[in-house]
Amino acid sequence: MHRAAHTAFCDWPQFVRPAMIRQSLKCTGCLQNSTRAYSVVPAPRDSEEKEMMHRMLRVDHAGEYGANRIYAGQMAVLGRSRQYQMWDQEKKHLSKFNEILAENRVRPTALLPLWNLAGFVLGASTALLGKEGAMACTVAVEESISEHYNSQIRALMESDPERYTELLQLIKEFRDDEMDHHDTGLEHDAESLPGYWLLKNAIQLGCKAAIYVSQRV
Amino acid sequence: MAALLRGLRAGRLLRRLSSVVAAPTSTTPKCSSRGFHCASLRLKDESKSDKHSASSSYSSSSSTTHNEYTSHQDSDPSSGDQEQDEEYETEEQLQARILTASLEFVPLHGWSMEAISAGAEAVGLSSASTGMFINGAGDLVLHFISQCNSKLTEILAEQHNQVQLGQAEYAMSILLLPHNIPESLKHLSTMVDDIWYYAGDRSTDMNWYTKRAVLTGLYNATELVMLQDSSPDFQDTWTFLDNRIQDVTNMAVTAKQMQLTGEAVAQGLMGAAVT
Repeated sequence: MHRAAHTAFCDWPQFVRPAMIRQSLKCTGCLQNSTRAYSVVPAPRDSEEKEMMHRMLRVDHAGEYGANRIYAGQMAVLGRSRQYQMWDQEKKHLSKFNEILAENRVRPTALLPLWNLAGFVLGASTALLGKEGAMACTVAVEESISEHYNSQIRALMESDPERYTELLQLIKEFRDDEMDHHDTGLEHDAESLPGYWLLKNAIQLGCKAAIYVSQRV
Repeated sequence: MAALLRGLRAGRLLRRLSSVVAAPTSTTPKCSSRGFHCASLRLKDESKSDKHSASSSYSSSSSTTHNEYTSHQDSDPSSGDQEQDEEYETEEQLQARILTASLEFVPLHGWSMEAISAGAEAVGLSSASTGMFINGAGDLVLHFISQCNSKLTEILAEQHNQVQLGQAEYAMSILLLPHNIPESLKHLSTMVDDIWYYAGDRSTDMNWYTKRAVLTGLYNATELVMLQDSSPDFQDTWTFLDNRIQDVTNMAVTAKQMQLTGEAVAQGLMGAAVT
């Protein structure tokens, strides 16, 4: 029965990779939530901290996922362009957050399908405005994300900088990458788009709403 | 609910428990012919000294986490010392101790305030202390559930022994009372999450939700089947479970095939449109 269930779960197509299962079942000793060889997120002391950490990780994961979809939308319209390198970095960010979520048993936001669609549509529609449109969208989104990461860094520093050293380092690194993307966007004539101010603020408002909702759902 | 899964696993999977499986009927009198056939943990043999480490590893009925408990123990070193010294024990720990003791009286008094009173007296307090439990039998059942869940987690990780208690149907009906539903749902979702995690699921997208939903449905159905099952060693329930898992796998395969077919069709149409 155990083997049947195990095989059934193993054969869940495309969803679970057998190597991962074997690995995770082998080190059943490592699956306790207190000790890990290396972990970016410290084991939470109480349920409040756990809630706060999970909320942070959930919204960060949603953000990177959305950013990925935006770049995918832009690439779909523009084809290979300067966006490509930035997209690569975003993919790395996303896979890192996937890892962290899985490790820490964090529930991903239920709105992921919505961000999937919305991100792609946003990327594609701004790319239809031309290269400057795509850059303007990049500038707006990266600015929102950097601001968001900054506020998280502030919150972690205020509560306990030593405890969250690795996590702070990670978020700072990601924030620096996002700032680079923002600057790249500005360099490539984002501001020359007509209606730039309007578009930028609209997108940033949308981002704020998305962040607010993803923290809660 | 967690006891179901434990029952399912213990009866078949864990061979080292086969000797313990034979034993239980002597320690806990079965009150209904459909009581659980699970391996039993001899609570008496789980020495009194173990009780504190045991109660520190059990979640209380308000479902605090394992980490929270060990940190409580760490910050209140004197609470681990003697059973009589309750000065530094939190109310939750006290409640947990009483409820754990009450479980031994369930076969006798049922899931009721009488069992809790007996438990309170066993711990050395007056039976008036049951006033602490405003939810009565609900508290007892929820405590049992959270104990079961944390033990299930241990089993999945380290393969330990289990607890046997009778009157499963009545316990489940208590869980369905409206004021108990949020807590029991929370326990159910934690358990399903644990099962998927230890089965190797590391998804971080919609699959996270669909998998857990499917498993919840499967688990509830199997639990209901088990209550009606009178075949030897729950053979019918096992067959039911095997079939349902097969169904789920088929469904997943079909979904995947449909997706591939859809993509192929879309590509074909695009190709046709272009030419």
